Amino acid sequence: MEQFLSAVFAGTASGSIYALVALGLVLVWRGAGVINFAQMGQAMFSTYVASTLIMHEYSYWFAFFVALIVGTTLGAIVDLLVMRPLSGKRGSAMLASPAMRATVPVIASLGILGILQSAAGMIWAAEERGFPAPVSTLGLSIGGTVMPFTAFDLFVIGIVLVTLFITTVFFQKTGMGLAMRASALNPEVARLSGIRTSSVRTLSWAISGAASSLAGLLVTPSANLSPNSLDLILIIGFTATVIGGLDSLPGGVLGGFILGLLISFVNVYRSPSDIFLAILIFLLIVLLVRPQGLLGSKEVRRV
Amino acid sequence: MFKRLQTGNALKAILFFWVIFYLGKVFDAYNQGQLSVVLMYFIGILSITFLTGLSGQISLGQGALMAIGGYTCALGILNLGLNYWQSIIFAVLASLVAGWILGVTAARLSGPYLAGTTLVIALAIPSLANRFESVFGGDVGLSVDFGNPPQWLNNLIGEIGFEQWQLFATLPFASIALYIALNLFKSRTGRSWRAVRDHEIAASLAGINVQRMKIFTFVVASGFAGLAGAMYGLRGIVGPSVYPISLSLALLTGAVLGGLRSIEGAFIGAVVVVFLPDLIEKVTGNWELAPQIGNFLPAMVSSLLLILTVVLNPAGVAGALHHRKPRHK
Repeated sequence: MEQFLSAVFAGTASGSIYALVALGLVLVWRGAGVINFAQMGQAMFSTYVASTLIMHEYSYWFAFFVALIVGTTLGAIVDLLVMRPLSGKRGSAMLASPAMRATVPVIASLGILGILQSAAGMIWAAEERGFPAPVSTLGLSIGGTVMPFTAFDLFVIGIVLVTLFITTVFFQKTGMGLAMRASALNPEVARLSGIRTSSVRTLSWAISGAASSLAGLLVTPSANLSPNSLDLILIIGFTATVIGGLDSLPGGVLGGFILGLLISFVNVYRSPSDIFLAILIFLLIVLLVRPQGLLGSKEVRRV
Repeated sequence: MFKRLQTGNALKAILFFWVIFYLGKVFDAYNQGQLSVVLMYFIGILSITFLTGLSGQISLGQGALMAIGGYTCALGILNLGLNYWQSIIFAVLASLVAGWILGVTAARLSGPYLAGTTLVIALAIPSLANRFESVFGGDVGLSVDFGNPPQWLNNLIGEIGFEQWQLFATLPFASIALYIALNLFKSRTGRSWRAVRDHEIAASLAGINVQRMKIFTFVVASGFAGLAGAMYGLRGIVGPSVYPISLSLALLTGAVLGGLRSIEGAFIGAVVVVFLPDLIEKVTGNWELAPQIGNFLPAMVSSLLLILTVVLNPAGVAGALHHRKPRHK
């Protein structure tokens, strides 16, 4: 029973981080039609900045907010320097078909990932670093009994839930959120009704950058920080969006929690080396039943 | 499939064979080894040229298909007692089957969904090596090689070094792969792939069975990847560390840099990916860079080139060379 509970809690905590990663990916996919494989590269970079600040004796929370700002800025820079010029090339023969329009930006984002990782390696010498947690990562004890979860688990789950709540309110209740939803739904019509779709697109890159740098800050205390340390988190987060449906924010979040629990249970009841096999099997089952993901909307084909 | 086998293609493949053979005789041992890796990458990149460039499907898991080829080849040598020629062919057959299975599963998926699935496959397949450690040798892997050069070849061209034999054993397969690729490119199949890539619905209205074409692309691409992987493993070891995700990404980088839509592009891309680190080291050798900068410089340069190519010249080096000749795509 205790094993079961600790698997549930560990799974929920890591699942909430995957949900955050998935949130960032879905935001950019809906806003710009791009899968951003550089996303956790951006997060790795901003977490290194935070870690350097902490090493120079700044407080955790100062470093935390600086990292969020760096992540937001990096997101916007990626859009302005690479993705916007790329989307201006839609007329070229290479980008003429929808298949290639989905493929080429993925390749560009892999290039950005490479640049961020090698830059981090050059600046921080690729040394593995620990990263502090703001609260204890030992089993929480209440009234003498040790609980199957840590204060840090609760912290992660809490902060992610708050983020998800703010995002939902932002999209449902604010004018900017409305503009973003409109541009995602139909850029042409949005532009005609006076929305600056290119600025809205940059904004979704920026918000996605913030979400992913938050994910980086939350995941690094349980693993060491190195230029490649967040690659797996990205792959799992991306799988979560594919499972949940790429164009659905709740879908991505749901996928994140499902995968977190799946990984945690395989880890506890089988062995860590079976994790990717389990993910693959689960992914294939979901996609065979629903090729557009659990909550994704079916692609409408027009001639 | 090949209604007219063009003699021009055979001539090109034979010319390719002799040029590389000649280079293999003049290069030093290190560069002979590098050149043989170029050939292996060339075949691997061709599989991306077909899958992504011609048919418009992205795969981030070509390394896993290479691993399937590599492991089959190694098991053929170690357990079935085949020699390396036979077991490379055995590996290609196994990869064709794997490609068919993957194709049947993946043909319904497109774009990001396909990218995600292939990425997870790239992680899951190598983890099988640990799952069935007694067969696949776990993290250490299986050790295999090309064996020794036959005596008649030694008599014919003089004593053959280790790297040189690696090159000469790879070369016939690379030439055959080139010949098949050249023919496929111009065949009815190649045209159907392009049609599917450019407009699925229009292609199906023109009588092309889109699903079947997509599956067939996976089968062909997987055959090429399996061949590349088998030879890549024969350099010494077949193990999870030989076929990491970064291998899949290096192949994709090469494909894009050279030009996603042409065979010349695949070769140029392979040359760039393999020789770029050497070139950078040669250029920066006297600059006394800090080791941490020197270590990451090749990755930095190739990533920069990748982005610049995608944004400024998506057709790659080969596309830029072709630019003058007006051709319909």
